[in-house]
Amino acid sequence: MLSVNTVLAVCLGYVVLLFAVAFIVDRRTRTRRLGWLNSPVVYTLSISIYCTSWTFYGAVGSAARNGLEFVAIYLGPTLVFVGWWWCLRKLVRIGRAHRITSIADLISSRYGKSPSLAVLVTVIALIATTPYIALQLQSLTRSYQVIAGESDGVATAFWIAAGMALFTILFGTRNLDANERHQGVVAAIALEAVVKLLALLAVGVFATWSLADGFADVFADVPPEVVVGAGEVFGARWVVLTFLSATAIICLPRQFQVTVVENIDERHLSTASWLFPLYLFGMTLFIMPIAIVGLKVMPAGANPDLFVLTLPLSAERHELALLAFLGGFSSATSMVIVATIAVSTMLSNHIVMPIALRVLAAGRAVSGDVRALLLVSRRVCIGVILGLGFLYFRLSGGSDALAAIGLIAFVGVAQFLPSLLGGIFWRGGTRTGAACGLLAGFALWAYTLFLPSFGGDVILSPEVLRDGPAGIAALRPQALLGLDGLDPLVHAVVWSVGVNALAFVVVSSLTRPGALERLQATVFVDVYRAAGGAPSSVLVGTAASEDLFLLARRILGDGFARSLFDEMAAAQGRSGGLPDPTDAVIDRLERELSGSIGAASAHALVNRIADRQSLGMTELIDIADESQQMIEAAHEFAEKSAELERTAVQLRAANERLRALDAQKDEFLGQLSHELRTPMTSIRSFSEILMDEEGVPDQERRRFVSIINEESQRLTRLLDELLDISRLEGGSIDLRLEMIGVPEAIGKALDAIAGTTRDAGVTVTADPGRAGLRVESNPDRLRQVLINLLSNAVKYNPAPQPEIRVSVNENGSMVDIDVADNGGGVTHAEAAMIFEKFARGDRSDRSYGVGLGLPISRAIMRAMNGDLTVEFAPDGTSFFRIRMPRADP
Amino acid sequence: MTAPAEIGPASGKARDRSIALVVVGVVLLMPPLVGVSLVDGSIAGVPVPLVYVFVVWVTLIAAAAALARVLRSSDTIDSSESVNDATG
Repeated sequence: MLSVNTVLAVCLGYVVLLFAVAFIVDRRTRTRRLGWLNSPVVYTLSISIYCTSWTFYGAVGSAARNGLEFVAIYLGPTLVFVGWWWCLRKLVRIGRAHRITSIADLISSRYGKSPSLAVLVTVIALIATTPYIALQLQSLTRSYQVIAGESDGVATAFWIAAGMALFTILFGTRNLDANERHQGVVAAIALEAVVKLLALLAVGVFATWSLADGFADVFADVPPEVVVGAGEVFGARWVVLTFLSATAIICLPRQFQVTVVENIDERHLSTASWLFPLYLFGMTLFIMPIAIVGLKVMPAGANPDLFVLTLPLSAERHELALLAFLGGFSSATSMVIVATIAVSTMLSNHIVMPIALRVLAAGRAVSGDVRALLLVSRRVCIGVILGLGFLYFRLSGGSDALAAIGLIAFVGVAQFLPSLLGGIFWRGGTRTGAACGLLAGFALWAYTLFLPSFGGDVILSPEVLRDGPAGIAALRPQALLGLDGLDPLVHAVVWSVGVNALAFVVVSSLTRPGALERLQATVFVDVYRAAGGAPSSVLVGTAASEDLFLLARRILGDGFARSLFDEMAAAQGRSGGLPDPTDAVIDRLERELSGSIGAASAHALVNRIADRQSLGMTELIDIADESQQMIEAAHEFAEKSAELERTAVQLRAANERLRALDAQKDEFLGQLSHELRTPMTSIRSFSEILMDEEGVPDQERRRFVSIINEESQRLTRLLDELLDISRLEGGSIDLRLEMIGVPEAIGKALDAIAGTTRDAGVTVTADPGRAGLRVESNPDRLRQVLINLLSNAVKYNPAPQPEIRVSVNENGSMVDIDVADNGGGVTHAEAAMIFEKFARGDRSDRSYGVGLGLPISRAIMRAMNGDLTVEFAPDGTSFFRIRMPRADP
Repeated sequence: MTAPAEIGPASGKARDRSIALVVVGVVLLMPPLVGVSLVDGSIAGVPVPLVYVFVVWVTLIAAAAALARVLRSSDTIDSSESVNDATG
């Protein structure tokens, strides 16, 4: 036992040394003279806060009780660091590119800068960290009691907590560095890391070579179960412990702080990849010998958790005991300081500041000095966290239940793992998925491990622990759904992390991420792809440079904000003044701010000022995933091909019509030349006879000339008709329409062919319609059509007693004139043909004219807004129908 | 590091080795393989399971140290940015 004064003096001297180191390094950081401090060794030593007093004292206790098992706690981190290229490097790259301030910031930022996710992670981290801090206070108090004699444990713990709060506030919130780095603190904990390693090695060497005679002597006569533990050492618990420790080295807030946030050079990681495992190796090398020597030397019933301290004390090696005490002190304080910084950053950035900003900045402008507010909130949070730790220590009464809290905390923070790894390796993870996974994992962790760790004192009663709530055995916290016979730790890990991961994956695959989530997913997963890791800009909006500058000054401080804006203005080619508020400037500012207040808050703050709201259409398309683009493309393609199909069908139809028209034209030309040839042939032959033969009698000559004349007239008529039909069909002829009486028109037409009908012996029956029935038509043309129809009926009627019937019917606004004969009419097939040019019914012979009469008649009627059709009577006979618009109602 | 031009064949190999190293570490340190060390007896006075775990461990560290050198030179970290951040 040492005198209290000596111990206090040494402690005080050590603390003063730590303050001095932190202070000097902070000053050198400001004047930008880092030198050897910017070295991978310092970085590696800072990561060694993984070894807390739980390692320093507890590992020996664990080795004394369970043998080799404790090594698993250091194998996990070793594997993670050996494989640094695959996971840690990506985390560090993302952390640097996006100015990540904490693990809550990383997860919230990845899932669309979600504030609620940040709150959730912060709450879990706080709940998992507080007992861990209490554990450190407890081990500090106990070690102090051992080395300085019994004293008031609570008072000791209180002053230790107060001292650490002072240190943390002084150096942890000294400046709001844009990257949330604390060089002074890092230097101090690096020094502490050296002290605790040296202390443990010294005690180990002392135990091995002073109390025993080398390794062989230490392990001589030691039964195997002391080395490998009583149970199955390399069983499920071994695997779970390795997994948990591997998870903790990534997910513990304090480890994330030193590994990712405090990283000043990515290349330092490559050194840490082997140097940190080597440090762990050094820390554990003598754990087993110390435990075994302690078991041999110390009296039965001595607490193995304090062998590191009690072994030198019992051998009256006070200076060694003091060194061991300082080692334990270093382990505990460094952990508490960094954990407090890490969690207070989360608490302040994700819970306190958003509320404060909402209260203060109800309007658009940010009022008040945000920077000062941020510092105050950070300091209050540090005080609150340490206060909570102290309170927890006080309430738990330094019970042994605390000893297990290290692993319980590991399982708690292991809940971050699915969202974290899923976030940086899988684009498909969504905010809802992450929230569901975290909530489910957290709830199961609390139910199966955290609450039962109080042994039935808190919330869950001993009865519930034994029989399940309301006696439902399936819900027993330590045998959920009857999963019995497992180690409680293994049981809790399987349930909480398993369900967490499952919920994350399943819910993610069922939900659709928002635009910002997708963007963040892409820039996180593809962080190596982005140039310099800068996220691409997608938000559009306008911002006043003055407002942005004001905001930056309030949060980053005047000097830094000024140099930042000067730099951005220079980048835009301006010699002075503020830069244009381009998207690049706004994004840069947001990233710098997120280094101080977290991504979600920075995003909200900048967007409030910049008035940026929505993503543009083109940007949305940019970030739309491939499948969506594929769907769009396929859809477009289908539309195009359907359109092509339709066009092809139309083209085919048009082609058919053209072919038919072409064939019709050929036929027409054939018919036409035939029709022209007949008269031309007779004209030529008769004129040749007249020309060549001398002795043609006069009578013959006259006959020949009259034939020539007749044929010429026929030819002329034919040509006239052709011209007529082409003009009618082309619409170039203007038929003057007037009101004419139907009976009068029919009468005139019948008069005109009266001679013909009489000669042919045709009986004409006419019903010329009521007097005064008038139509709108051209009288000459109508008569032409009527005469054509009537003379056809006379000419092509083979009946022995030919008859013609003409009747008139009024049909609404139209008037029909039907012309029928008793010659049998035409067949249906012929009806379709007879209006073609040069076509004639079968009955026709070539005695008169060409087949242009009906086509001309139809063309005339159509030109006069009427029609000429073939109709069929019920008895099958056909007749012609002329249809015209009537002139009066 | 997606641009193939930046990756030499040697460093690609190194990255394969770094993942292989983790796999080998897991296989050697996890059951069932780690169970083979559970034999009575000692090497230089130290029980075999202890020697096995610590020897595998220190071998992993040595291999990682050798690989880190290669990987580090293959990585294209923007050192100018690092310097800026270090001083700012």
